[in-house]
Amino acid sequence: MDFDIDLFLQALPILARAVLLNLQLAAAIIVLAVLAATVLTLVRAAKWPPVSLVIDLLISMVRGTPLLIQIFICYYGLPAIGLNLSPIAAGILAISANSMIFLSEAMRGGLGGIEPGQVEAATALGLPSRAIWLRVVLPQLFTRILPILTAELTIVVKATALLSVITVVEVLRTAQQMSAATYRPFEHLLAAAVVFLVANLAIGAAGRVLEARLAAGRA
Amino acid sequence: MGFDVGVITKHAPALLDGALVTIQITILAFILGYAIGILMAVAALLPGRLPKIVVAAYVGTFRSVPFIITLFVIYYGLPFADIRLPAFMVGVVALAVFSGAYYTEIIRAAVQAVPRGQFDSARAVGMTYPQAMRHVIGPQVVRSVIPASTNTTLSMMKESAVLSSITIGELTYQGLIVQGETFAPFEVFAAVAVLYWTIAIAIAAAARWVEIRAGRAETKAVLRSRVAARYLSLDWRVRR
Repeated sequence: MDFDIDLFLQALPILARAVLLNLQLAAAIIVLAVLAATVLTLVRAAKWPPVSLVIDLLISMVRGTPLLIQIFICYYGLPAIGLNLSPIAAGILAISANSMIFLSEAMRGGLGGIEPGQVEAATALGLPSRAIWLRVVLPQLFTRILPILTAELTIVVKATALLSVITVVEVLRTAQQMSAATYRPFEHLLAAAVVFLVANLAIGAAGRVLEARLAAGRA
Repeated sequence: MGFDVGVITKHAPALLDGALVTIQITILAFILGYAIGILMAVAALLPGRLPKIVVAAYVGTFRSVPFIITLFVIYYGLPFADIRLPAFMVGVVALAVFSGAYYTEIIRAAVQAVPRGQFDSARAVGMTYPQAMRHVIGPQVVRSVIPASTNTTLSMMKESAVLSSITIGELTYQGLIVQGETFAPFEVFAAVAVLYWTIAIAIAAAARWVEIRAGRAETKAVLRSRVAARYLSLDWRVRR
């Protein structure tokens, strides 16, 4: 068997268009996940014992099970309890829930790095706790976890490839359809790999530029 | 519609079989992946530019491409190199190559985190290169590598769910089969999730055990030397 370079080159532009869906999905997911993770972090910070226990259990469970199974539960499992979701909605729900848990853990780590004296000073100045969160803690937290956020974005972009198994026509699914039409899976899947490689290297580079800007802004 | 436990108990043997295959795959891929990680980390630390570029390309590629695509590329690409392996072996190799990229970074970072002066001092007191590695650098690397390696191994175990798409009879694959027979997706995937969760908890517990043992080995090394024990040990039992 020989490698068909023409087929590979023809597949690239088609898959480059298909990756736009992956990137849109990833953008929606990361926004949802950051918002949800922030709320979750605030709830955890309140330290209500029964709620914390439930959240800890949830975190352990989400971290202990494959994302693929979480996607299956959202797509195949939820209809059984009366919640019918489209493949895209189920995918967004599953991946953002997964990402929320990982980001919330990252935020917990980030909180530990913030100087306790700042919160004490803010309290001593009579700042209400809302202002302490919004003006003192969270802005620093987000700059601190920025490298983790860019890493998480590439993880989410990669995760969107899993949605091919629940029939979302993104890069991998498109490559599989072209493979089925030509009986040449290798050329098409290699092209899909190249598309993801370029997309994620670009995200990584953008993240580093953003970090350098922020670091320069603080200095 | 309630939660039908009968579905799970009836198909428990199939799911447990799948869990066993998942455990086997994880262990094999861990051994192979760690070997790749050590080799690549050593290569990255060699003098010269070329090895560093090769290792960076390997790590960057496998960390940027979704594992499901890596898996398919290897699965469909091996026949081009006239290599024909059973699906199980392809799965193990793909998982090992994938997790190896992460292990490489962990080991490389840990070795580079040991201050250069320690190596120089070890050589200055007359240790050979292997002795310095074995007694000075090695123990510190092993200790600092464990937490990150545990995380990567957990991710790798979870990523093995993707192997169901090349028809390896692991846990997710068995779950999909049972789901197809029973049409009870919620129960089946809940059971599958619990089994994965159990495996994850077991891996985390094993890692903690290794961590404690690595720590103890280090304490022992300190205790073997009376002089070192006087200064480096806070353990009251060694005062003599």
